[in-house]
Amino acid sequence: MSDSKRITLQQAAEVVKNGSSLTFSGFTIWRRPFALVFELIRQQRRNLHLIEVNGGPHTEFLVGAGCVDIWESCWVGHELYGKYGANLSRKVANREIIVEDYSHAEMMFRFAAAAQGAAYAVTQTSLGTDIHNPEYDMLGRAGLRDGKRIAKHKYLFADDPFYGAGSQVLIPAPKVDIAVMCVQQVGEEGTVRVNGQYYSDPEAARTADITIVMAEEIVPEEYLRRNADINTIPSFEVDYILECPFGAHPTGMFGRYDVDGAFLKDFYARTRTQEGFDDFAKAWIHGLDHISYLEKLGWPRMLGLKANTALNYSPRATKGGK
Amino acid sequence: MSDYAKAEEFGLADLLCCAASREVADNEIVFAGTGLPMVAIMLAQKTHAPNLKLIFEAGTLDGRPPEIPTSVGDARCEMGASRSSGLSDAFSIAQRGYVDLGYLGGAEVDVYGNVNTTCIGEYLNPELRLTGSGGNPDINSFAKRTVFIMVHEKRRFVENVSYITSPGWRVKKWPGGELVHRRELYGAAYRGGPSAVISTAGVFRFDDQSGRMFLDTCHPGKTAEEIREMCQFDLDISRVKGETEVPTREELRIIHEVLDPHEIFIPKIKQG
Repeated sequence: MSDSKRITLQQAAEVVKNGSSLTFSGFTIWRRPFALVFELIRQQRRNLHLIEVNGGPHTEFLVGAGCVDIWESCWVGHELYGKYGANLSRKVANREIIVEDYSHAEMMFRFAAAAQGAAYAVTQTSLGTDIHNPEYDMLGRAGLRDGKRIAKHKYLFADDPFYGAGSQVLIPAPKVDIAVMCVQQVGEEGTVRVNGQYYSDPEAARTADITIVMAEEIVPEEYLRRNADINTIPSFEVDYILECPFGAHPTGMFGRYDVDGAFLKDFYARTRTQEGFDDFAKAWIHGLDHISYLEKLGWPRMLGLKANTALNYSPRATKGGK
Repeated sequence: MSDYAKAEEFGLADLLCCAASREVADNEIVFAGTGLPMVAIMLAQKTHAPNLKLIFEAGTLDGRPPEIPTSVGDARCEMGASRSSGLSDAFSIAQRGYVDLGYLGGAEVDVYGNVNTTCIGEYLNPELRLTGSGGNPDINSFAKRTVFIMVHEKRRFVENVSYITSPGWRVKKWPGGELVHRRELYGAAYRGGPSAVISTAGVFRFDDQSGRMFLDTCHPGKTAEEIREMCQFDLDISRVKGETEVPTREELRIIHEVLDPHEIFIPKIKQG
Protein backbone atom coordinates (compact mmCIF):
# COMPACT_ATOMS: atom_id res chain seq x y z
CA MET A 1 0.00 0.00 0.00
CA SER A 2 2.57 2.53 1.10
CA ASP A 3 4.70 2.28 -2.03
CA SER A 4 1.87 1.95 -4.53
CA LYS A 5 2.08 5.53 -5.82
CA ARG A 6 5.85 5.58 -6.22
CA ILE A 7 7.23 5.76 -9.73
CA THR A 8 10.54 6.74 -11.32
CA LEU A 9 11.27 9.95 -13.18
CA GLN A 10 11.26 8.05 -16.48
CA GLN A 11 7.88 6.49 -15.65
CA ALA A 12 6.50 9.88 -14.61
CA ALA A 13 7.45 11.35 -17.97
CA GLU A 14 5.79 8.39 -19.68
CA VAL A 15 2.47 9.26 -17.99
CA VAL A 16 2.51 12.37 -20.20
CA LYS A 17 1.51 11.38 -23.73
CA ASN A 18 1.93 13.16 -27.02
CA GLY A 19 -0.95 15.63 -27.16
CA SER A 20 -1.58 15.74 -23.40
CA SER A 21 -2.75 18.95 -21.75
CA LEU A 22 -0.41 19.84 -18.89
CA THR A 23 -0.10 22.22 -16.00
CA PHE A 24 2.55 22.74 -13.33
CA SER A 25 3.13 23.83 -9.76
CA GLY A 26 4.99 27.02 -8.94
CA PHE A 27 5.14 30.62 -9.93
CA THR A 28 7.37 32.10 -12.67
CA ILE A 29 10.87 31.09 -11.45
CA TRP A 30 9.87 29.17 -8.32
CA ARG A 31 9.10 25.46 -7.74
CA ARG A 32 8.87 24.31 -11.36
CA PRO A 33 9.20 20.53 -11.93
CA PHE A 34 12.39 20.80 -13.96
CA ALA A 35 13.74 17.27 -13.60
CA LEU A 36 10.55 16.02 -15.25
CA VAL A 37 10.56 18.78 -17.85
CA PHE A 38 14.09 17.73 -18.86
CA GLU A 39 12.96 14.10 -19.00
CA LEU A 40 10.03 15.03 -21.29
CA ILE A 41 12.52 16.73 -23.60
CA ARG A 42 14.78 13.64 -23.56
CA GLN A 43 11.79 11.45 -24.39
CA GLN A 44 10.88 13.85 -27.22
CA ARG A 45 7.28 14.36 -26.15
CA ARG A 46 5.32 16.28 -28.80
CA ASN A 47 2.09 18.26 -29.39
CA LEU A 48 1.65 19.25 -25.76
CA HIS A 49 -1.01 21.78 -24.75
CA LEU A 50 0.28 23.78 -21.79
CA ILE A 51 -2.42 25.45 -19.71
CA GLU A 52 -0.71 27.53 -17.05
CA VAL A 53 -1.70 30.21 -14.56
CA ASN A 54 1.70 31.68 -15.47
CA GLY A 55 4.68 30.41 -17.41
CA GLY A 56 8.40 30.57 -16.76
CA PRO A 57 11.75 29.00 -17.65
CA HIS A 58 10.17 25.52 -17.80
CA THR A 59 7.80 26.79 -20.51
CA GLU A 60 10.77 28.15 -22.41
CA PHE A 61 12.60 24.81 -22.26
CA LEU A 62 9.59 22.80 -23.45
CA VAL A 63 8.77 25.32 -26.17
CA GLY A 64 12.39 25.60 -27.32
CA ALA A 65 12.62 21.81 -27.57
CA GLY A 66 9.58 21.68 -29.85
CA CYS A 67 7.39 19.78 -27.36
CA VAL A 68 4.54 22.34 -27.33
CA ASP A 69 1.80 23.04 -29.88
CA ILE A 70 -0.44 25.27 -27.74
CA TRP A 71 0.45 27.60 -24.87
CA GLU A 72 -2.54 28.99 -23.01
CA SER A 73 -1.53 31.39 -20.26
CA CYS A 74 -0.64 35.00 -19.51
CA TRP A 75 3.08 35.47 -18.96
CA VAL A 76 6.42 33.95 -19.78
CA GLY A 77 9.91 35.15 -18.90
CA HIS A 78 12.66 34.75 -16.32
CA GLU A 79 11.86 37.70 -14.01
CA LEU A 80 15.06 39.71 -13.50
CA TYR A 81 17.20 37.04 -15.18
CA GLY A 82 15.68 37.43 -18.64
CA LYS A 83 13.10 39.94 -19.86
CA TYR A 84 10.85 37.73 -21.94
CA GLY A 85 10.49 34.23 -23.32
CA ALA A 86 12.79 34.32 -26.32
CA ASN A 87 11.97 30.77 -27.42
CA LEU A 88 8.24 31.39 -27.35
CA SER A 89 8.81 34.67 -29.18
CA ARG A 90 10.74 32.93 -31.93
CA LYS A 91 8.09 30.21 -32.34
CA VAL A 92 5.30 32.82 -32.43
CA ALA A 93 7.15 34.75 -35.16
CA ASN A 94 7.60 31.50 -37.14
CA ARG A 95 3.96 30.48 -36.53
CA GLU A 96 5.13 27.24 -34.96
CA ILE A 97 2.96 27.57 -31.87
CA ILE A 98 -0.53 28.74 -30.92
CA VAL A 99 -0.66 31.22 -28.06
CA GLU A 100 -3.98 31.89 -26.31
CA ASP A 101 -3.73 34.97 -24.08
CA TYR A 102 -5.75 35.44 -20.92
CA SER A 103 -4.98 37.73 -17.98
CA HIS A 104 -3.30 36.37 -14.86
CA ALA A 105 -6.44 36.66 -12.71
CA GLU A 106 -8.49 35.12 -15.50
CA MET A 107 -6.19 32.10 -15.57
CA MET A 108 -6.33 31.82 -11.78
CA PHE A 109 -10.13 32.12 -11.68
CA ARG A 110 -10.42 29.57 -14.52
CA PHE A 111 -8.41 27.05 -12.50
CA ALA A 112 -10.41 27.85 -9.36
CA ALA A 113 -13.60 27.09 -11.31
CA ALA A 114 -12.17 23.86 -12.73
CA ALA A 115 -11.07 22.82 -9.24
CA GLN A 116 -14.65 23.32 -8.03
CA GLY A 117 -16.02 21.28 -10.89
CA ALA A 118 -17.75 24.42 -12.20
CA ALA A 119 -18.10 24.99 -15.92
CA TYR A 120 -16.81 28.53 -15.95
CA ALA A 121 -15.71 31.49 -13.86
CA VAL A 122 -17.23 34.97 -13.76
CA THR A 123 -15.10 38.09 -13.36
CA GLN A 124 -14.79 41.76 -14.29
CA THR A 125 -11.07 41.80 -14.83
CA SER A 126 -9.44 43.07 -18.02
CA LEU A 127 -12.62 44.56 -19.52
CA GLY A 128 -11.83 46.83 -22.45
CA THR A 129 -8.53 45.16 -23.32
CA ASP A 130 -7.45 43.29 -26.44
CA ILE A 131 -7.48 40.07 -24.41
CA HIS A 132 -11.21 40.15 -25.29
CA ASN A 133 -10.71 41.15 -28.93
CA PRO A 134 -12.87 38.61 -30.80
CA GLU A 135 -10.32 38.56 -33.64
CA TYR A 136 -7.69 37.27 -31.23
CA ASP A 137 -9.34 33.97 -30.29
CA MET A 138 -6.41 31.90 -31.51
CA LEU A 139 -7.78 28.42 -30.71
CA GLY A 140 -10.98 29.45 -32.48
CA ARG A 141 -9.03 30.69 -35.50
CA ALA A 142 -7.25 27.32 -35.60
CA GLY A 143 -10.61 25.48 -35.54
CA LEU A 144 -9.73 23.71 -32.28
CA ARG A 145 -12.75 24.75 -30.17
CA ASP A 146 -14.54 21.39 -30.16
CA GLY A 147 -16.43 21.95 -26.89
CA LYS A 148 -14.89 18.75 -25.48
CA ARG A 149 -11.36 19.30 -24.16
CA ILE A 150 -11.21 22.85 -25.52
CA ALA A 151 -14.10 25.21 -24.71
CA LYS A 152 -16.46 26.34 -27.48
CA HIS A 153 -15.68 30.00 -26.75
CA LYS A 154 -12.60 31.80 -25.43
CA TYR A 155 -14.94 33.95 -23.30
CA LEU A 156 -18.48 35.35 -23.35
CA PHE A 157 -19.88 38.58 -21.94
CA ALA A 158 -22.99 38.73 -19.76
CA ASP A 159 -24.60 41.50 -17.73
CA ASP A 160 -24.95 40.78 -14.04
CA PRO A 161 -28.54 39.49 -13.78
CA PHE A 162 -28.61 39.61 -9.96
CA TYR A 163 -27.40 43.03 -8.80
CA GLY A 164 -26.98 44.96 -12.04
CA ALA A 165 -23.25 45.28 -11.37
CA GLY A 166 -22.53 45.60 -15.08
CA SER A 167 -20.61 43.70 -17.70
CA GLN A 168 -19.14 40.35 -16.65
CA VAL A 169 -16.73 38.04 -18.46
CA LEU A 170 -17.47 34.32 -18.42
CA ILE A 171 -14.31 32.30 -18.92
CA PRO A 172 -14.23 28.53 -19.31
CA ALA A 173 -12.78 26.12 -16.74
CA PRO A 174 -9.81 24.40 -18.41
CA LYS A 175 -9.70 20.63 -18.99
CA VAL A 176 -6.29 19.48 -17.87
CA ASP A 177 -5.02 15.92 -18.29
CA ILE A 178 -1.99 16.09 -16.00
CA ALA A 179 -0.60 18.35 -13.29
CA VAL A 180 3.06 17.98 -12.42
CA MET A 181 3.88 19.38 -9.01
CA CYS A 182 7.26 20.09 -7.49
CA VAL A 183 7.10 20.48 -3.71
CA GLN A 184 9.10 20.13 -0.52
CA GLN A 185 7.37 17.10 0.99
CA VAL A 186 4.97 14.37 0.01
CA GLY A 187 3.79 11.47 2.16
CA GLU A 188 3.78 7.85 1.01
CA GLU A 189 0.03 8.07 0.43
CA GLY A 190 0.24 11.37 -1.44
CA THR A 191 -0.43 14.06 1.14
CA VAL A 192 1.46 17.19 0.11
CA ARG A 193 2.94 19.83 2.36
CA VAL A 194 4.05 22.95 0.56
CA ASN A 195 6.17 25.38 2.57
CA GLY A 196 5.88 29.05 1.74
CA GLN A 197 3.47 30.60 -0.75
CA TYR A 198 1.48 27.81 -2.40
CA TYR A 199 0.79 29.91 -5.52
CA SER A 200 -1.94 28.09 -7.53
CA ASP A 201 -0.86 24.56 -6.59
CA PRO A 202 -4.04 23.41 -4.78
CA GLU A 203 -6.22 24.40 -7.75
CA ALA A 204 -3.80 22.85 -10.27
CA ALA A 205 -3.76 19.49 -8.47
CA ARG A 206 -7.54 19.39 -8.07
CA THR A 207 -8.19 20.42 -11.67
CA ALA A 208 -6.04 17.83 -13.40
CA ASP A 209 -7.28 14.30 -14.10
CA ILE A 210 -3.89 12.90 -13.09
CA THR A 211 -1.57 14.52 -10.56
CA ILE A 212 2.11 13.64 -10.32
CA VAL A 213 4.01 14.95 -7.30
CA MET A 214 7.77 15.30 -7.43
CA ALA A 215 9.11 16.10 -3.96
CA GLU A 216 12.43 17.01 -2.41
CA GLU A 217 11.66 14.19 -0.02
CA ILE A 218 9.09 11.47 0.52
CA VAL A 219 8.30 11.45 4.22
CA PRO A 220 6.29 9.06 6.41
CA GLU A 221 2.62 9.77 5.82
CA GLU A 222 1.90 9.75 9.55
CA TYR A 223 4.46 12.55 10.07
CA LEU A 224 2.39 14.86 7.82
CA ARG A 225 -0.88 13.70 9.39
CA ARG A 226 0.24 14.85 12.83
CA ASN A 227 -0.30 18.43 11.61
CA ALA A 228 -2.99 18.11 8.97
CA ASP A 229 -3.84 21.80 9.31
CA ILE A 230 -0.62 22.81 7.56
CA ASN A 231 -0.88 20.33 4.68
CA THR A 232 -1.68 21.65 1.21
CA ILE A 233 -3.08 18.84 -0.95
CA PRO A 234 -5.01 15.77 0.28
CA SER A 235 -3.68 12.28 -0.41
CA PHE A 236 -6.39 11.09 -2.79
CA GLU A 237 -5.85 13.92 -5.27
CA VAL A 238 -2.36 12.60 -5.93
CA ASP A 239 -1.88 9.65 -8.29
CA TYR A 240 1.90 9.27 -8.47
CA ILE A 241 4.79 10.35 -6.29
CA LEU A 242 8.53 10.43 -6.72
CA GLU A 243 11.46 11.70 -4.72
CA CYS A 244 13.70 14.04 -6.65
CA PRO A 245 16.03 16.28 -4.62
CA PHE A 246 16.88 19.59 -6.28
CA GLY A 247 14.25 18.69 -8.87
CA ALA A 248 13.23 22.33 -9.34
CA HIS A 249 16.70 23.59 -10.30
CA PRO A 250 17.31 26.12 -11.94
CA THR A 251 14.13 27.49 -10.31
CA GLY A 252 14.04 27.94 -6.54
CA MET A 253 12.26 26.23 -3.68
CA PHE A 254 11.22 27.98 -0.47
CA GLY A 255 13.26 26.78 2.48
CA ARG A 256 15.46 24.54 0.34
CA TYR A 257 17.35 26.48 -2.36
CA ASP A 258 17.27 29.74 -4.24
CA VAL A 259 16.75 30.41 -7.93
CA ASP A 260 19.96 29.83 -9.93
CA GLY A 261 20.00 33.26 -11.55
CA ALA A 262 23.29 32.71 -13.35
CA PHE A 263 21.92 29.56 -15.01
CA LEU A 264 18.74 31.33 -16.15
CA LYS A 265 20.70 34.36 -17.45
CA ASP A 266 22.94 32.04 -19.41
CA PHE A 267 19.94 30.16 -20.82
CA TYR A 268 18.23 33.43 -21.81
CA ALA A 269 21.38 34.78 -23.48
CA ARG A 270 22.20 31.59 -25.36
CA THR A 271 18.81 30.42 -26.61
CA ARG A 272 17.61 33.33 -28.76
CA THR A 273 18.13 31.13 -31.82
CA GLN A 274 17.10 27.51 -32.35
CA GLU A 275 20.76 26.55 -32.84
CA GLY A 276 21.50 28.19 -29.51
CA PHE A 277 18.73 26.23 -27.83
CA ASP A 278 19.86 22.97 -29.38
CA ASP A 279 23.41 23.55 -28.15
CA PHE A 280 22.17 24.37 -24.67
CA ALA A 281 19.99 21.24 -24.61
CA LYS A 282 22.94 19.14 -25.77
CA ALA A 283 25.04 20.47 -22.90
CA TRP A 284 22.45 20.31 -20.11
CA ILE A 285 19.70 17.83 -21.03
CA HIS A 286 20.53 15.17 -23.59
CA GLY A 287 22.74 12.30 -22.50
CA LEU A 288 22.23 13.18 -18.83
CA ASP A 289 19.91 11.95 -16.13
CA HIS A 290 18.97 13.85 -12.98
CA ILE A 291 22.00 12.68 -10.99
CA SER A 292 24.51 13.41 -13.72
CA TYR A 293 22.87 16.82 -14.18
CA LEU A 294 23.45 17.55 -10.50
CA GLU A 295 27.00 16.24 -10.80
CA LYS A 296 27.60 18.62 -13.68
CA LEU A 297 26.28 21.53 -11.62
CA GLY A 298 28.58 20.52 -8.78
CA TRP A 299 28.60 20.94 -5.02
CA PRO A 300 29.99 24.49 -4.81
CA ARG A 301 27.24 25.87 -7.03
CA MET A 302 24.48 24.06 -5.15
CA LEU A 303 25.87 25.09 -1.75
CA GLY A 304 25.72 28.71 -2.88
CA LEU A 305 21.99 28.27 -3.53
CA LYS A 306 21.19 26.32 -0.39
CA ALA A 307 18.66 28.13 1.78
CA ASN A 308 19.42 29.20 5.31
CA THR A 309 16.94 27.20 7.41
CA ALA A 310 16.01 30.20 9.58
CA LEU A 311 15.48 32.58 6.65
CA ASN A 312 14.17 30.08 4.07
CA TYR A 313 16.35 31.67 1.39
CA SER A 314 20.06 31.90 0.68
CA PRO A 315 21.70 35.16 1.76
CA ARG A 316 24.66 34.15 -0.42
CA ALA A 317 22.43 34.02 -3.50
CA THR A 318 21.22 37.58 -2.80
CA LYS A 319 24.74 38.88 -3.13
CA GLY A 320 25.22 37.04 -6.39
CA GLY A 321 21.81 38.12 -7.64
CA LYS A 322 23.12 41.10 -9.52
CA MET B 1 11.97 65.93 3.65
CA SER B 2 14.21 68.96 3.29
CA ASP B 3 17.73 67.65 3.02
CA TYR B 4 17.65 67.21 -0.75
CA ALA B 5 20.54 65.52 -2.49
CA LYS B 6 22.60 67.44 -5.04
CA ALA B 7 22.39 66.48 -8.72
CA GLU B 8 25.65 64.54 -8.66
CA GLU B 9 24.57 62.45 -5.66
CA PHE B 10 21.73 60.50 -7.29
CA GLY B 11 20.94 58.66 -10.51
CA LEU B 12 17.81 58.41 -12.63
CA ALA B 13 16.79 55.14 -10.96
CA ASP B 14 16.98 56.86 -7.55
CA LEU B 15 14.80 59.71 -8.80
CA LEU B 16 12.20 57.31 -10.22
CA CYS B 17 12.20 55.22 -7.07
CA CYS B 18 11.61 58.26 -4.82
CA ALA B 19 8.96 59.73 -7.13
CA ALA B 20 7.14 56.39 -7.10
CA SER B 21 7.48 56.12 -3.34
CA ARG B 22 5.77 59.51 -2.89
CA GLU B 23 2.63 58.25 -4.67
CA VAL B 24 1.73 56.11 -1.63
CA ALA B 25 -0.13 57.39 1.40
CA ASP B 26 0.14 55.81 4.83
CA ASN B 27 -2.27 52.95 5.65
CA GLU B 28 -2.89 52.15 1.99
CA ILE B 29 -2.99 48.62 0.61
CA VAL B 30 -0.49 48.34 -2.20
CA PHE B 31 0.02 45.67 -4.86
CA ALA B 32 3.69 45.45 -5.83
CA GLY B 33 5.43 43.88 -8.78
CA THR B 34 9.03 42.81 -9.17
CA GLY B 35 11.88 45.29 -9.47
CA LEU B 36 12.00 49.02 -8.93
CA PRO B 37 8.37 49.26 -7.68
CA MET B 38 9.25 46.90 -4.86
CA VAL B 39 12.12 49.14 -3.78
CA ALA B 40 9.84 52.19 -4.04
CA ILE B 41 7.17 50.69 -1.81
CA MET B 42 9.62 49.41 0.75
CA LEU B 43 11.16 52.90 0.77
CA ALA B 44 7.72 54.37 1.50
CA GLN B 45 7.28 51.74 4.23
CA LYS B 46 10.51 52.98 5.84
CA THR B 47 9.73 56.70 5.47
CA HIS B 48 6.33 58.38 5.22
CA ALA B 49 4.04 55.33 5.06
CA PRO B 50 5.08 52.93 7.86
CA ASN B 51 1.60 51.38 8.01
CA LEU B 52 1.11 50.58 4.35
CA LYS B 53 0.12 46.99 3.62
CA LEU B 54 2.01 45.18 0.92
CA ILE B 55 0.48 42.46 -1.25
CA PHE B 56 2.57 40.31 -3.56
CA GLU B 57 0.72 38.70 -6.44
CA ALA B 58 2.09 35.22 -5.72
CA GLY B 59 0.24 35.12 -2.40
CA THR B 60 1.92 37.18 0.33
CA LEU B 61 -0.48 39.38 2.29
CA ASP B 62 0.87 42.29 4.33
CA GLY B 63 4.48 41.29 3.81
CA ARG B 64 7.41 42.99 5.56
CA PRO B 65 10.44 41.62 3.72
CA PRO B 66 13.76 42.35 5.46
CA GLU B 67 15.55 42.52 2.13
CA ILE B 68 14.47 43.03 -1.46
CA PRO B 69 12.84 39.96 -3.00
CA THR B 70 14.11 39.15 -6.49
CA SER B 71 10.56 38.38 -7.64
CA VAL B 72 7.10 38.13 -6.07
CA GLY B 73 7.37 34.34 -5.81
CA ASP B 74 10.51 34.72 -3.70
CA ALA B 75 10.90 33.24 -0.21
CA ARG B 76 11.99 36.74 0.88
CA CYS B 77 8.48 38.12 0.31
CA GLU B 78 6.76 36.42 3.17
CA MET B 79 9.15 37.17 6.03
CA GLY B 80 7.06 38.90 8.68
CA ALA B 81 3.88 38.63 6.62
CA SER B 82 0.38 38.49 8.04
CA ARG B 83 -0.43 35.55 5.79
CA SER B 84 1.31 33.54 3.13
CA SER B 85 -1.08 31.94 0.66
CA GLY B 86 -1.60 31.86 -3.08
CA LEU B 87 -2.80 33.66 -6.17
CA SER B 88 -6.44 32.93 -5.57
CA ASP B 89 -6.23 35.01 -2.39
CA ALA B 90 -4.24 37.83 -3.98
CA PHE B 91 -6.57 38.25 -6.97
CA SER B 92 -9.75 37.76 -4.93
CA ILE B 93 -8.61 40.53 -2.61
CA ALA B 94 -7.98 42.77 -5.62
CA GLN B 95 -11.36 42.01 -7.21
CA ARG B 96 -13.07 42.51 -3.86
CA GLY B 97 -11.79 46.09 -3.88
CA TYR B 98 -9.19 46.14 -1.12
CA VAL B 99 -6.34 47.52 -3.21
CA ASP B 100 -5.65 51.26 -3.12
CA LEU B 101 -2.60 51.40 -5.31
CA GLY B 102 -0.76 49.18 -7.77
CA TYR B 103 2.64 49.71 -9.36
CA LEU B 104 3.04 48.50 -12.91
CA GLY B 105 5.25 48.77 -15.96
CA GLY B 106 4.93 48.36 -19.70
CA ALA B 107 6.64 48.41 -23.06
CA GLU B 108 4.25 51.00 -24.60
CA VAL B 109 1.76 53.45 -23.14
CA ASP B 110 -0.76 55.59 -25.01
CA VAL B 111 -2.35 58.95 -24.42
CA TYR B 112 -5.21 57.34 -22.41
CA GLY B 113 -2.87 55.30 -20.21
CA ASN B 114 -3.56 52.03 -22.01
CA VAL B 115 -0.50 49.84 -21.72
CA ASN B 116 0.94 47.11 -23.92
CA THR B 117 3.13 44.31 -22.55
CA THR B 118 2.06 41.66 -25.07
CA CYS B 119 3.69 42.30 -28.44
CA ILE B 120 5.35 44.91 -30.62
CA GLY B 121 3.57 45.28 -33.95
CA GLU B 122 0.39 43.52 -35.11
CA TYR B 123 -0.85 40.87 -32.66
CA LEU B 124 -1.56 38.40 -35.47
CA ASN B 125 1.82 39.05 -37.08
CA PRO B 126 4.02 40.44 -34.33
CA GLU B 127 7.48 41.92 -34.76
CA LEU B 128 8.25 40.79 -31.24
CA ARG B 129 6.22 38.76 -28.81
CA LEU B 130 6.79 40.04 -25.25
CA THR B 131 6.02 38.49 -21.86
CA GLY B 132 2.24 38.81 -22.06
CA SER B 133 -0.08 40.43 -19.57
CA GLY B 134 0.86 38.86 -16.27
CA GLY B 135 -1.21 40.58 -13.59
CA ASN B 136 -0.95 44.02 -15.20
CA PRO B 137 -4.58 44.23 -16.44
CA ASP B 138 -5.92 42.66 -13.27
CA ILE B 139 -4.32 45.15 -10.92
CA ASN B 140 -5.15 47.97 -13.31
CA SER B 141 -8.79 46.81 -13.46
CA PHE B 142 -9.31 46.58 -9.72
CA ALA B 143 -7.02 49.04 -7.89
CA LYS B 144 -8.24 52.54 -7.10
CA ARG B 145 -5.03 54.00 -8.51
CA THR B 146 -2.18 52.62 -10.55
CA VAL B 147 1.25 54.10 -11.17
CA PHE B 148 3.28 53.10 -14.22
CA ILE B 149 7.07 53.27 -14.20
CA MET B 150 8.50 53.34 -17.71
CA VAL B 151 11.55 53.97 -19.83
CA HIS B 152 10.81 57.09 -21.89
CA GLU B 153 11.40 56.70 -25.61
CA LYS B 154 9.35 58.22 -28.40
CA ARG B 155 8.47 54.77 -29.77
CA ARG B 156 7.00 53.82 -26.38
CA PHE B 157 4.73 56.89 -25.91
CA VAL B 158 2.15 56.46 -28.66
CA GLU B 159 -1.32 57.79 -29.59
CA ASN B 160 -2.84 54.29 -29.43
CA VAL B 161 -1.02 51.15 -28.33
CA SER B 162 -1.07 48.35 -30.89
CA TYR B 163 -2.51 45.96 -28.28
CA ILE B 164 -4.27 47.03 -25.09
CA THR B 165 -2.92 44.63 -22.50
CA SER B 166 -3.93 46.77 -19.55
CA PRO B 167 -6.89 49.16 -19.41
CA GLY B 168 -6.38 52.94 -19.23
CA TRP B 169 -9.07 55.63 -19.18
CA ARG B 170 -10.54 55.05 -22.63
CA VAL B 171 -10.75 51.38 -23.54
CA LYS B 172 -12.27 49.12 -26.19
CA LYS B 173 -15.89 48.13 -26.07
CA TRP B 174 -16.37 44.75 -27.70
CA PRO B 175 -17.39 43.38 -30.11
CA GLY B 176 -16.84 46.59 -32.11
CA GLY B 177 -13.74 47.86 -30.33
CA GLU B 178 -14.79 51.54 -30.17
CA LEU B 179 -13.10 53.55 -27.39
CA VAL B 180 -15.30 54.36 -24.39
CA HIS B 181 -14.57 55.67 -20.91
CA ARG B 182 -13.71 52.73 -18.65
CA ARG B 183 -16.54 53.72 -16.28
CA GLU B 184 -18.99 52.54 -18.94
CA LEU B 185 -17.58 49.02 -18.95
CA TYR B 186 -16.68 48.34 -15.36
CA GLY B 187 -20.02 49.12 -13.75
CA ALA B 188 -19.95 48.37 -10.03
CA ALA B 189 -16.28 47.37 -10.28
CA TYR B 190 -15.26 50.86 -11.42
CA ARG B 191 -12.93 52.30 -8.80
CA GLY B 192 -10.46 54.45 -10.72
CA GLY B 193 -7.53 53.83 -13.02
CA PRO B 194 -4.05 54.99 -13.92
CA SER B 195 -3.16 58.00 -11.77
CA ALA B 196 0.43 58.61 -12.83
CA VAL B 197 3.09 57.58 -15.30
CA ILE B 198 6.60 58.08 -14.01
CA SER B 199 8.97 57.88 -16.94
CA THR B 200 12.69 58.49 -17.20
CA ALA B 201 11.79 62.03 -18.45
CA GLY B 202 8.99 63.25 -16.20
CA VAL B 203 5.82 62.57 -14.25
CA PHE B 204 2.51 62.48 -16.13
CA ARG B 205 -1.10 62.48 -14.96
CA PHE B 206 -4.51 62.17 -16.60
CA ASP B 207 -7.31 64.68 -17.19
CA ASP B 208 -10.49 63.75 -15.29
CA GLN B 209 -12.78 64.51 -18.22
CA SER B 210 -10.92 63.51 -21.37
CA GLY B 211 -8.76 60.80 -19.80
CA ARG B 212 -5.80 62.22 -21.75
CA MET B 213 -2.28 62.33 -20.35
CA PHE B 214 -0.69 65.63 -19.38
CA LEU B 215 2.78 66.52 -18.13
CA ASP B 216 2.87 67.20 -14.40
CA THR B 217 6.60 67.63 -13.58
CA CYS B 218 9.85 67.47 -15.55
CA HIS B 219 12.83 65.56 -14.22
CA PRO B 220 15.88 67.78 -13.54
CA GLY B 221 17.61 68.73 -16.78
CA LYS B 222 14.55 68.18 -19.02
CA THR B 223 12.27 70.90 -20.40
CA ALA B 224 8.56 70.47 -21.09
CA GLU B 225 9.14 71.09 -24.80
CA GLU B 226 11.81 68.39 -24.92
CA ILE B 227 9.46 65.94 -23.24
CA ARG B 228 6.63 66.81 -25.64
CA GLU B 229 9.02 65.94 -28.47
CA MET B 230 9.55 62.55 -26.86
CA CYS B 231 5.88 61.58 -27.37
CA GLN B 232 4.13 60.50 -30.57
CA PHE B 233 0.91 62.18 -29.41
CA ASP B 234 0.29 65.85 -28.72
CA LEU B 235 1.25 66.04 -25.05
CA ASP B 236 -0.49 68.71 -22.98
CA ILE B 237 2.30 70.71 -21.30
CA SER B 238 0.09 73.60 -20.14
CA ARG B 239 -0.26 72.27 -16.59
CA VAL B 240 3.38 71.65 -15.68
CA LYS B 241 3.99 72.37 -12.01
CA GLY B 242 7.78 72.47 -12.22
CA GLU B 243 10.57 70.05 -11.50
CA THR B 244 10.13 66.53 -10.08
CA GLU B 245 11.04 66.51 -6.39
CA VAL B 246 14.53 65.08 -6.07
CA PRO B 247 15.60 62.39 -3.55
CA THR B 248 16.61 63.36 -0.05
CA ARG B 249 19.90 62.12 1.39
CA GLU B 250 17.93 59.99 3.86
CA GLU B 251 16.00 58.31 1.04
CA LEU B 252 19.25 57.56 -0.80
CA ARG B 253 20.72 56.10 2.35
CA ILE B 254 17.74 53.80 2.82
CA ILE B 255 17.76 52.68 -0.82
CA HIS B 256 21.47 51.91 -0.99
CA GLU B 257 22.34 50.86 2.55
CA VAL B 258 19.16 49.15 3.70
CA LEU B 259 17.00 48.05 0.79
CA ASP B 260 19.23 47.29 -2.16
CA PRO B 261 22.84 47.22 -0.93
CA HIS B 262 23.80 44.68 -3.59
CA GLU B 263 22.49 46.89 -6.43
CA ILE B 264 20.11 44.23 -7.68
CA PHE B 265 17.65 46.82 -9.00
CA ILE B 266 19.18 50.26 -8.35
CA PRO B 267 22.81 51.03 -9.21
CA LYS B 268 24.85 53.26 -6.96
CA ILE B 269 26.17 56.50 -8.36
CA LYS B 270 29.94 56.55 -8.50
CA GLN B 271 31.09 59.90 -7.21
CA GLY B 272 34.37 61.70 -7.50
